[in-house]
Amino acid sequence: MSRGTRLFMSLIYWGFVVYVFVPLILMVMMGFKDSKFIGFPITSWTLDWYTRVFADAEVLNAFVYSMVIAIASTAFSLAVGTWIATLLVGRSFFGRGIIFGLTILPALIPGIISAIAFRIYAQLWGVAPGMGAIIWAHAVHNVPFVMLVVSARLATLPPSYHDAARDLGADPVVAFFRVTLPYLKPALIGAGIFCMLLSFDDFVRSFFLGGYKPTLPVLIFAKLRSGMSPEINAISSVVLVLTAVLGVWAERSMRRMSKGN
Amino acid sequence: MPGKAETRPGSGILSDEQDGPRTAGSRRTFWGALVAAPLYQQVVGTLLGSPRRQFAILVTLPVIWLLTQHLGPMLQMLYVSLVDSYPTAPGHERHFTLDNYARFFREAIFVMPFLRTLVFAAVLTFVTLIITYPVAYFLARHVRRDNQLVFLLLLLIPFWVGEIVRTFAIMILLGNNGAVNLALKWLGFIDRPVPFMYTGFSISVGIIYLTALYMLLPLYSALEKLPKSYTEAAADLGAGAWTRFRKVTLPLTLEGIASGCTLVFLISTGYYATPVLLGGPSTTVFAETIAGFFHVAGDQWPTGAAFACLMFVTALALTAVFNRFMTQLQHRGRK
Repeated sequence: MSRGTRLFMSLIYWGFVVYVFVPLILMVMMGFKDSKFIGFPITSWTLDWYTRVFADAEVLNAFVYSMVIAIASTAFSLAVGTWIATLLVGRSFFGRGIIFGLTILPALIPGIISAIAFRIYAQLWGVAPGMGAIIWAHAVHNVPFVMLVVSARLATLPPSYHDAARDLGADPVVAFFRVTLPYLKPALIGAGIFCMLLSFDDFVRSFFLGGYKPTLPVLIFAKLRSGMSPEINAISSVVLVLTAVLGVWAERSMRRMSKGN
Repeated sequence: MPGKAETRPGSGILSDEQDGPRTAGSRRTFWGALVAAPLYQQVVGTLLGSPRRQFAILVTLPVIWLLTQHLGPMLQMLYVSLVDSYPTAPGHERHFTLDNYARFFREAIFVMPFLRTLVFAAVLTFVTLIITYPVAYFLARHVRRDNQLVFLLLLLIPFWVGEIVRTFAIMILLGNNGAVNLALKWLGFIDRPVPFMYTGFSISVGIIYLTALYMLLPLYSALEKLPKSYTEAAADLGAGAWTRFRKVTLPLTLEGIASGCTLVFLISTGYYATPVLLGGPSTTVFAETIAGFFHVAGDQWPTGAAFACLMFVTALALTAVFNRFMTQLQHRGRK
């Protein structure tokens, strides 16, 4: 590869890095602007917007509400996704392809269609819009991601581990909980954080399935529609930092496992 | 006798003996105690007695879940799209009808957003491919393997952030008092701000910003799998950089291109908040049309459901045709 192309390629890469980071950096900067008016240039700086956000009960409530939804939906997704992965990995049976395809389905349905399909489905089962409905929709939407991550890890589990456990007197249930599950731990941590982020940041499902109480993205959306202020920047920046830290942690957890530790 | 030893509870794996020496007469752990319980033995013995029964137990929950949770909502949406009222008011009867679908073709105002969404999604998918291919190529072929993770992680960080926050970031970038306009003014290109916002352009920038990752990852993994020796061999045989790319790299990464494009296309047809926040009245996409039927009273739901079905089936059909075409391209390359 000539040095010219190499340099050109690295320029494109760094250009792309700039493209994905600059909007977020500008957004964070705007949260420190000492004026009610969003826009450049920024002439004086303040921390007021942040102190205001941490004192704003509406924002804090929405944050807690989103967290509860994220944790609850993740618990369901992890359980079901792991179960399906256990069924699919290392077995061949009639209908395996269909089960795999159906598991992936929610990840392929465009957001708006998945949201209204669940709105209708919740009506069918008499589930009122609100926390339960959102948790339900998020749980279903995140199952494919858990299944894919857990399957990848499960495929690397040497069969001898399981055989050894059985030889030592463990029945399949005990062998699963004492051998398979500990082996899956990094995958479960990675997939769990991934699901929590997907749920926490989800807008379209939370918007159509929510009652009067907004999740954090729905609240930000409402604030954006009624007029922008640097307060939204402060909220978004807090969300950004939290998400980025958790995301990097999940990614590391999953990458480490692919190296076989 | 060996059989007896195998099932002796409280031994080996069940008692944590491997954790170190214990007091004499090894203490039973939770699992040891559980396995020793007669009720547990009876239940597990009946349920998991044969491999066949084990499989039946293992397969039941996924099948029920997939049918009721993954397929159910779509089927119910299809059903609602075929009836005249939903939720039906008490005392009224529900009838099957195709009128909800007919409405799409009858009223011209629905066709434009529909076509706009598909064209937008197709064009944006192509643009995303052009932008991210060199990035993926650089990552997979030019960065040292030990550093690839760091370089990839750097790009992943912004993509963990949700739709709303990133859309907001684009609003700040492109607004009349936004960074781009400020920069252009400062450089002396313009006197008054360019109205980037509330146009097809701002929606495009926003959606590419949201979907680039879904293109980047499949491309990266396809390029990473491609052995360097292939292009080196082509170079030894005298192929120039462009020929190597066209004859070796591109044909062998078609699969990654196909899955990346399929993902991005399907996902970008489904964005709702981004077009609402970044678009204007002349850029209404079909997601907004569908959503409109759910904001008003319940009797519009069947129409909304029918429109959603139309959108989904069309998008799936287009990706199916596209994937077929890509497979054919791959086979032709092999001959």
